[in-house]
Amino acid sequence: MTNHWIDLKNSDCVLIMGSNPAENHPISFRWVLKAKERGAKVVCVDPRFTKSAAHADIYARLRSGTDIAFLGGMIKYILDKDLIHKDYVVHYTNASFLIDEGFAFDPSKGFFSGFDDAKRAYDEKTWSYQYYSVDPNAKPDEMTPEQRAEYERIAALVAAREPKKDPTLQDPNCVYQILKRHYERYDLQTVSDTTGTPPADLEKVYAAFAATGAPEKAGTIMYAMGWTQHTVGVQNIRAMSIVQMLLGNMGRAGGGVNALRGESNVQGSTDQALLFHILPGYLKAPKAAQATLEAYLKANTPAAIGKASANWWGNTPKYMVSLLKAMYGEAATPENGFGYGWLPKLEDTGNYSWMNLFDAMYQGKIKGLLAWGMNPACSGANSTKTRQALAKLDWLVNVNIFPNETGWFFQDPTLGIAPADIKTEVFVLPAASSVEKEGSLSNSGRWMQWRYKAADAPGDALPDAEIMNLIFQELLALYKADGGALPEPILNTKWDYFHEGEANPHAIAKEINGYFLKDVTIADKTFKAGTLVPAFGMLQADGSTSSGNWVYCASYTEAGNMSARRKREESGIGLNPEWAWAWPVNRRIIYNRASADPNGKPWKGGIPVVEWVGDRWVGDIPDGPWPPSALEGGKHPFIMRPDGHAALFATGLKDGPLPEHYEPLESPVTDNRFSAAMLNPASKRYQTERDTVAECGGNQFPYVCSTYRVTEHWQTGVMTRNSPWLLEAVPQVFLEMSEELAKEKGLVPGDQVRVSSARGTLTAVALPTKRLKPITVRGKTVHQVGLPWCFGWRVPNDGSGGDSANLLTPCVGDPNTGIPESKAFLVNFDKLDAAAHPELALTTGRRA
Amino acid sequence: MDFGVLNDTTRCIGCRSCQVSCKNENKLPAEPTQLVGHPGGLTNPPQLSASTHTIVQCHEIEDAEAPGGLRLVYTKRQCMHCDQPACVSACPVTALHKTEHGGVAYDEDKCIGCRYCVWACPFGVPTAEWDSLAPRIRKCDLCSDRILGDIRAQELNDTTLPAPARKRFEESYKKPACVKACTTGALTYGRHDELLEEAHRRLEAEPARYHPHVYGEEEVGGTSILYLSAVPFEKLGFRTDLGTTAYPTYTATALGLVPPAVIGIGAALGGIHLLARRKAAVAREEAERKLGETP
Repeated sequence: MTNHWIDLKNSDCVLIMGSNPAENHPISFRWVLKAKERGAKVVCVDPRFTKSAAHADIYARLRSGTDIAFLGGMIKYILDKDLIHKDYVVHYTNASFLIDEGFAFDPSKGFFSGFDDAKRAYDEKTWSYQYYSVDPNAKPDEMTPEQRAEYERIAALVAAREPKKDPTLQDPNCVYQILKRHYERYDLQTVSDTTGTPPADLEKVYAAFAATGAPEKAGTIMYAMGWTQHTVGVQNIRAMSIVQMLLGNMGRAGGGVNALRGESNVQGSTDQALLFHILPGYLKAPKAAQATLEAYLKANTPAAIGKASANWWGNTPKYMVSLLKAMYGEAATPENGFGYGWLPKLEDTGNYSWMNLFDAMYQGKIKGLLAWGMNPACSGANSTKTRQALAKLDWLVNVNIFPNETGWFFQDPTLGIAPADIKTEVFVLPAASSVEKEGSLSNSGRWMQWRYKAADAPGDALPDAEIMNLIFQELLALYKADGGALPEPILNTKWDYFHEGEANPHAIAKEINGYFLKDVTIADKTFKAGTLVPAFGMLQADGSTSSGNWVYCASYTEAGNMSARRKREESGIGLNPEWAWAWPVNRRIIYNRASADPNGKPWKGGIPVVEWVGDRWVGDIPDGPWPPSALEGGKHPFIMRPDGHAALFATGLKDGPLPEHYEPLESPVTDNRFSAAMLNPASKRYQTERDTVAECGGNQFPYVCSTYRVTEHWQTGVMTRNSPWLLEAVPQVFLEMSEELAKEKGLVPGDQVRVSSARGTLTAVALPTKRLKPITVRGKTVHQVGLPWCFGWRVPNDGSGGDSANLLTPCVGDPNTGIPESKAFLVNFDKLDAAAHPELALTTGRRA
Repeated sequence: MDFGVLNDTTRCIGCRSCQVSCKNENKLPAEPTQLVGHPGGLTNPPQLSASTHTIVQCHEIEDAEAPGGLRLVYTKRQCMHCDQPACVSACPVTALHKTEHGGVAYDEDKCIGCRYCVWACPFGVPTAEWDSLAPRIRKCDLCSDRILGDIRAQELNDTTLPAPARKRFEESYKKPACVKACTTGALTYGRHDELLEEAHRRLEAEPARYHPHVYGEEEVGGTSILYLSAVPFEKLGFRTDLGTTAYPTYTATALGLVPPAVIGIGAALGGIHLLARRKAAVAREEAERKLGETP
């Protein structure tokens, strides 16, 4: 979240789209309802009338997988009616920047400029800003004074890398005009023909949210997996980001783009880089071509674009060297590039995201897997492929707090491989649960909150860190004894967070924060070697500081463990600055300098977040100390962008600089009304015999299906299916459908159905509901169904619960994240004759 | 002082934290359930029972005025804690009594198992443990132990809490477990008169949001549990035919005469139940045996 949970209450319009917070983030609804009591409008857009929709002032139904069409229509509405927050857009976004004249989008092909058909990938050359240039052979000495003044003016712009801009927003190549042209096609009727939403409902939603373009208003978006689990996942979020920039809602109290994270500590695990493409603190993972630290830093340290850009990532060398010092301690020296060479490197075009890994595993290319706190047999798309992939492993280590479907995959009745034919050796390591150990977690609002151990773990269960320590010590001993290829990464790792095998979470938290390793003097103040670094502004690139994660620097200082603070705010806007600690540097609202105008005064009538008073900012911790952009020495507010401006037009994404509607891989329609391309041309596809796909608009699989969660169960349900009170509340997998479709299928409530997709089949209890309704798309009736993915064949162990909905989902994903498209795929279903096929029925007592 | 709970169903999101925290507080076992395929399928367990003292019912109500033409309403149901409880007046041995904080509590040591309370309750709340040979009556008692008992805050983590923390802890602890667990503030625990005042304040402040009635203000002479709703209560399965007269007024005279007869009836019913259970078990075994033979 750019903002945080409590800040939702400050909003004037809460858009709930791609999420169902009342169901999946119940506590958040406390703040949504508070906003509503203040007079905020709550708007819910969802294929299904959800628990969140039940509290909305406006509800609009859309066909699953058409969010960009819906939001593209909103962008057009805002631009056509000129509802933008003009000063914000001109000063804080790249609306005025000129783009390369070669940039284009061709609707007759459905591609942006630069697409390579063979590689299914883009060359981004034309997606760039226009810069000034001077004739290298010019002779200023021979110019007239006027010519010379002009030459020097341009030369200065060249030196500062100032992009060309048109603050009047009239130049046909400026981002604003490109945006207008691009979304010209997204008129109400075409959008409605795609989303199935009646035009009147579209307008209601657009008008309500666009009203937050008024400078005194702020609107927020709450999104979750309903946006990410699509072949256009990142672009769904980009589309909303554009809306928020146009309306001036970023950095504002009650505004922002708010990702509701799906797990209590998934924000923390992302920050600590449990992903293949990053190192802790969102530093980029090294690639094979970046053989030395210098090469890495050169490739990953951006140069500032424009002189008033803070270009925060220009500090990359300080953060990277400090990370290496935290990892390798004294073994990291300037001479050996601080041990950079010991880091694993990605193949230059390598992608090690989930579906790629399991695809490689399915093809027998991966020998072993540590499934740690995960249940891939149920959580990964296309479960049959995933489960059979596990059978190709030599070994599998399953670390969990309960026996799960992954560790017992060889007993799976649907696997289709006899246990005797499986060579995989499975190790089960019982882990302590979150309440059985001390440590921190970081919530969606980036708040790192310390928590204490409440009970001892049962039996042999150990905290994760202690399991890792046992493995590490064993590896260390083996490398010490046997040497082997490249033992240095293990031998040189700094590993002093354990006492007699017991993990010290404080030592780990301090390492993450970072230490001064020598006496360091910064602005007349000397920090002693061995003391904790107060904030990341003091980290150094010369090896004199360490920090395991620069964004967490300031979380655990000489003043104590900031995340353990528990002081409630007595007055204010809900920032609660002394409750726990938020990264970065306890900033509660990111990009908060944009909550003030270019002179540093809060936008008139809005809720103040920061204000420039005299020579400093007051309020929330600002995004850097510099004056606001209109003042001498001022910097632009979007400090993580090399140009300091919010990117309406963005580079760096694999599927285009502007969001464009494409259909899901499996769609009930046969053409795309916006362009000639049905599927996102850059989407990630797989080709094994298990990666079968339904025909778009075909009769075999006519219904659109989404998977989702229920309040009572968590993820694949391993924790909650083992909790009798929760299983009692939601005991079985169910297929939700409209009453109309149930009637068409001849189903009475309680009937069991066999649901099938091109990948697999599953038994579920039919749940006809008024919450789903048939959608009319271009005169054709489209039925949406859905089912939760929280079940697995192993628990409950009597065969009454059912299995994972991921047996049905396809392996196709967003090109940027590799997240699978489990929110829009095609299925069919029929009534199950339970008497004729008792082995398929969900019946208590069927299986012992 | 009479306390109670105001349930503003327009603030409920149906998370069922109240239902689960009730089971946790009262150490109640889970029931074997099945998902029944209709809107009520998301109500589980399907009804109050000896091991389920509160449930959240799900209602889908078509309403052209509502966004999307639909209202999705969740109603937490439990003992209503009548001001003058029929169950208390029906009990021949004062095993049930209205406590000083408003809850109707039960003393199993006094109970003779007559189940008069079960029949007397206009809301069908008290349930006997039919599976037990010495069945107790089970129902919500508004967490009398939490509210009237010693909170032992000073023993928390073996440390004495500083006064402000203790006060905060007391405030958050001394309320029914369901209210404490409520995520959105749909449930409010407080003085009955203040809750009524608050309920009417809300009705007046936002007339468009509410059906203009506080359920429990006058029903059966008044109850400690009060409800607000966006839709008429009969659409939520609430009985609206109960009148405003307290039930004991109807029964007080007659009940004085019958206690001895009751004991006999109770015993007879217990026997019938045991017989029925045995029959059902035999039938189930038979059915499972047949299922096993199916190729």
